Amino acid sequence: MTTDSIIQINHLSKTFKGKTEPAVNDISLSIKRNEIFGLLGPNGAGKTTTISILCGLFPSSGGTIKIDGMDLHGDLDYIKQIVGVVPQDIALYPTLTARENLNFYGHMYGLKGKVLKDKIEMWLSNFGLTDAANRRVSTYSGGMKRRVNLIAGVLHGPKILFLDEPTVGVDVQSRTVIIDYLKELNKSGTTIIYTSHHMDEAEHFCSEVAIIDYGKIIIEGSPKQLIADNAGCENLESVFLKLTKRKLRD
Amino acid sequence: MIKKLLAAVKKEALILLRDRIGLSILFIMPMVLIFVMTLIQDSAFKTLNEKGIPIVFVNDDKDSLGIAIENGLRNSELCSFHDSINGIPATADVVKKAVADGKFLVGIVVPKGATDAIKRNVIKLVSQTLNTDSPPASIVKPTSKDSVEISIFIDPITKKSFLTSVTSSLREFISVIKTKIMFKTFSDQLAEIIPDKKNAPDNAFSQTQIIKYNEVYASKDIGKIVPNAVQHNVPAWTIFAMFFIVLPLAGSMVKEKSEGSIFRLHTMPSSFLLLINGKVVVYVFVCLIQFVLMLSVGLVFLPMLGLPTLALGNSILGILIITLATAFAATGYGVMVGTIATTEQQGAIMGALSILLLSAIGGVWVPTYVMPQTMRQLSAFSPLNWSLNSFYELFLRGGGVKAIIPDTIKLIAFFLLTMSIASIVNRVKRKI
Repeated sequence: MTTDSIIQINHLSKTFKGKTEPAVNDISLSIKRNEIFGLLGPNGAGKTTTISILCGLFPSSGGTIKIDGMDLHGDLDYIKQIVGVVPQDIALYPTLTARENLNFYGHMYGLKGKVLKDKIEMWLSNFGLTDAANRRVSTYSGGMKRRVNLIAGVLHGPKILFLDEPTVGVDVQSRTVIIDYLKELNKSGTTIIYTSHHMDEAEHFCSEVAIIDYGKIIIEGSPKQLIADNAGCENLESVFLKLTKRKLRD
Repeated sequence: MIKKLLAAVKKEALILLRDRIGLSILFIMPMVLIFVMTLIQDSAFKTLNEKGIPIVFVNDDKDSLGIAIENGLRNSELCSFHDSINGIPATADVVKKAVADGKFLVGIVVPKGATDAIKRNVIKLVSQTLNTDSPPASIVKPTSKDSVEISIFIDPITKKSFLTSVTSSLREFISVIKTKIMFKTFSDQLAEIIPDKKNAPDNAFSQTQIIKYNEVYASKDIGKIVPNAVQHNVPAWTIFAMFFIVLPLAGSMVKEKSEGSIFRLHTMPSSFLLLINGKVVVYVFVCLIQFVLMLSVGLVFLPMLGLPTLALGNSILGILIITLATAFAATGYGVMVGTIATTEQQGAIMGALSILLLSAIGGVWVPTYVMPQTMRQLSAFSPLNWSLNSFYELFLRGGGVKAIIPDTIKLIAFFLLTMSIASIVNRVKRKI
């Protein structure tokens, strides 16, 4: 583990019960502190499985993971305190208001009192949700739900933020707001690990990307470097298609 | 930790309060159920006790036996007495057809000379006993019959237990008449042997009735608590309702899985037990509210409909203890079902069917004492039965805290067991 890496993954593998093919197959990665790291790949490539293992949702079948210098399996309680997770699905209670959802999740992260209240109000304001904060989430548009979903993961100011396709299904306005605030968050010291199908978004947002397919990392580097290294490719999307081919995966 | 628990409780309470269907399942439906079941069972009691079962009676004897049976049936709460069909006095020929047509459940025909036959047999017996040569001619006219045959026609739908009651009553009437005749015959024979009867009281026979029956319900609160449809149904359906929280509770847990909230919660620095305890606190409180509402039905609303008022017995502390234990058992069971089920449909079917089954076995629908031996043995494994037994102990038998301790321990052990199973299942499910 290099001194400036916040996540060090060595030979990580995961085979689900009853399956013969591994979902994640011998992945090794080093993610630097304060980086925006993109984990890109087609559907079923192993992105969500990797992130789920990294945030302690289920155990790996093999390999070692160190986060902020601590072993994932041995120091899970500490690691859960310093990471934030924004899942692909909207993980909110639809019959509760945005404020009630954030109040609950904030408490679960150990926040309380005025600190929690101030953070909730700040983030609601930043994401243009103050006026709708007392409405039930079930009445929100897709973009509004995505924004609340994101706030719930960053409310406690995590050192590391896992984002699983945070902008899927939202309009350009919402996407721009989300990406801008994620950049702000990164500037304030949060390392971001991000998955997406939007190659143009990843190209401009990420400082480093890894393309994963069939559970294996097939290439890793900065977007600029990957485009330069692949002759005839003008952008990250063409690099992605060149390396992963056009065959449908699901 | 306390702040986290309070936040989990608040979240759960808000979700529940905004689920109108869930609330109606928890509060309104059980109250309606108590109303309906109590009224139905009370009505069934009235059919048997007040209106009675229709009986048609033909008295061809016209003497002591026929008259005694007729009077007995007329005064019996067991039946509604008829001696005519469509305004025409009933005869032996038409009674059988009327019963076969379903107009009456039972038809009874006392044949001509039945009293005489009894008298003759008794006199024969008395004469043999006292060694007199011949019976006094004034007492009985000889007939050709030696035995009495009372015909009882029965509608096939008549309950065996009711038929037994009717035939027992008939035997009792006949026995009384036979004893009376025997007493009179003995008295008359003795009078001939000992002519001075000055000391014999006029009501000598009635004075021989020295055995009396005092029917008292074996309650520790003697004379106050009488078993009735309200005393049985209110606790039974309250327990049923409390266990029915399994449906919304398991449903809320499955929803957390399907809506993705549980995914986020598992990545947070909070334990599964803390999240579940938030649910336990809310649903135990819901059970307590349910209990108060159900009691109010028994104490206030059912009496408004002319039904008896629920009697609570002597131990309020005992009621509180067993209600809390039942609430914990029901909540633990709901948590277990919610953890095992992977879809809302699974949770609903698993929860509803298992509660129906446990309530049927436990004696909520039908008292355990009418069940076959095997089912009675099975009922000892139903937590609803443990709870119901304790409520009967408190409400009907006038017992106190001491009497409900064994069942309370069983219910708390059931709660701990189901919570442990839920915890293990959760751990196993996450090791995918």
